[in-house]
Amino acid sequence: MFSSFRQSMAWVHTWFGLTLGFILMVVFFFGSLSVFDREIDRWSIPESRFEPQVMPSVDDMLLPILRSVEPDVQDYNTNMPLLHDLSQGPMTPRTELPADEFWAYTTHRDPVLIMGVGFLVPQPLDPEGHNHIHGNITIDPRTGKAFPDDQLKIGSRFFYPMHYSLNWNWNRIGIYIVGIAAFIMMAALVTGVIIHRKRFREFFTFRPNKQNQRSVLDLHNLTGMVALPFHFFFTFTGLLIFASFYFFPVTHTQLEPLHDYHEMVEASETGLPHDRAGVPAAIGSVDAMVAKAKQRWAEKDMPGEVGFLKITHVDDANSFVSIYRAGSDRVALVGEGMHFNASTGELIREEPPRSAVSEINEFLTGLHLQHFEHWLLRWLYVFGGLVGAICIATGFIFFVEKRKRQHTLQGNSGSQIVDALAVTTVTGMLLATVSILVANRLLPADMVGKGYWEQVVFWSSWALMLFHAFWRSAAVRHMRISPAWREQSILFAVLAVAAVILNWITTGDHLLKTAFHYWPVAGVDLSLLVSSGIAIYAARYLKKRENIAVDKAIEFSAQKLEVSRG
Amino acid sequence: MVEVVCWTLAIFTTVFGMACLALSLPNHWRQVTGMETSLPSPSEQLRLRIFGYSGLFASFLLCLAADHPSMAVLVWVMLLGLAAKGVASILAWREHWLKPLAGLFSRTVYR
Repeated sequence: MFSSFRQSMAWVHTWFGLTLGFILMVVFFFGSLSVFDREIDRWSIPESRFEPQVMPSVDDMLLPILRSVEPDVQDYNTNMPLLHDLSQGPMTPRTELPADEFWAYTTHRDPVLIMGVGFLVPQPLDPEGHNHIHGNITIDPRTGKAFPDDQLKIGSRFFYPMHYSLNWNWNRIGIYIVGIAAFIMMAALVTGVIIHRKRFREFFTFRPNKQNQRSVLDLHNLTGMVALPFHFFFTFTGLLIFASFYFFPVTHTQLEPLHDYHEMVEASETGLPHDRAGVPAAIGSVDAMVAKAKQRWAEKDMPGEVGFLKITHVDDANSFVSIYRAGSDRVALVGEGMHFNASTGELIREEPPRSAVSEINEFLTGLHLQHFEHWLLRWLYVFGGLVGAICIATGFIFFVEKRKRQHTLQGNSGSQIVDALAVTTVTGMLLATVSILVANRLLPADMVGKGYWEQVVFWSSWALMLFHAFWRSAAVRHMRISPAWREQSILFAVLAVAAVILNWITTGDHLLKTAFHYWPVAGVDLSLLVSSGIAIYAARYLKKRENIAVDKAIEFSAQKLEVSRG
Repeated sequence: MVEVVCWTLAIFTTVFGMACLALSLPNHWRQVTGMETSLPSPSEQLRLRIFGYSGLFASFLLCLAADHPSMAVLVWVMLLGLAAKGVASILAWREHWLKPLAGLFSRTVYR
């Protein structure tokens, strides 16, 4: 089919890159934003703008709150009919479900504490299954006051899931699509290096003043190569983190009996009861267990705070408390878990030193999930992610630049469509992102379902940009640059500044104040302003290029005319 | 505070190292010297490479001084990318910035 190996690699690179590149663009961009997801949360929920807190007293504050949590209505309505065995009687009413599991989670960047309860389905269809109806709550750990549950944590609950699941949760399809895209990314990296291996001789080359096709390819190669280790490791570790998801269907279909047996063996080996005993028992002092765990970590020369705490089989004789250390000072995501008998407070199990394999695994997943405290590395990751995004975007533009002349001659609209889609996934995505921030500041704080409407704004503004991109893309057919690039850049610049101003008006937090007192918000504001500046520069540059392209297009049509006249 | 100093120095040494490595490539050497026919002599090229790689190695040591080794490796690898992108941008828009550096390695550059 192809005359050389290099050509066949180019085919793989071009066509797989083109089809899944749009997904990768979303993954890279929102991945970069996710590095600062907690900071974006603070920006979007002004009531939570205070310093990060350590886990408060479980006995005095958290347990009473957890006991007051009710199962989520939507979760109950969707899942209860699926989990409950009707032959054993009618469904237990929502508010009467017994609690089976309590958990609380915080990080060194979280002022708020998120907690949840897993409620037991008393008469389950499959006794071995995960028979939980959930109820979650976010509190201010200083007072115990709950945050309204329809508030959307735009960073950690919208941008971050966008990064790994496109926020498309139906049958986990989003996660699978991102997985396939990541796999293609690995292939694109390998094929890209093969196609452009000669580039190593001119490693640092970027010629912005050459013709479009040349300079775009320069930038594509440059951004692909300088951050090659980043691109490779983040794609690879991303796949590694979700490996269990990708194999999940197997352990719950063909290998289900083995999976269940493994759980039983694991429970007997670790001494952590797999099932409830059915004998009621009260919870002892969890704070005392926390103190013991902290003391043990200090003895192991890794003192730290509690990041994750879970009580399994609540109010049962088999209940146990698991306490994990918050990640902060190392890359590897290690919890140094300690498990205590919930009623007696006796230590049941301390997780043993890890094997070499799990050390490597924890380092690799840890470097991607970045629970550590290291602001420089965080910014470097943002840089890596954005460089990846540039690489993908220039890939699209190169595709268009290379083919548009030929497509114009043939009357093919291929490059026009690709260009419109590229506009949608580059500037359109930026616009959708800044729109949700603007909506967050414009919609009233006490509006019912505010988080839902913010998402509506996000998706509809993105859809609008798609229409705009297609509407303006006719220029490509005439060998010109689609004005949509420039127009959307200008709109983005305006909205980004608007978001900063709206933040000031609605919360009183302007940059001069936050820059000295509250960096999470100042950082978001500054990033918006810088992006706005870059967008204006890009728009002006595009205008220049558009003019050049118009001249060229005229020349081209004149030539065409001459040719047709013979 | 010590780590901030180390990181700052690491950024500079990485950029320096990458700039030397860029100059050791004939294409970029010509670009900086502005002479179509000029080439770094084999000894100049060798010196540029030695300084280049030493710069990168020095930045690795600085990263190690600032952080736990597992973290330092990540910072260093990311800095390499940032510095390479930085040097490429300098070569694209401000190539004359590298002229003094080329001058350090070759006496013919300013003639």
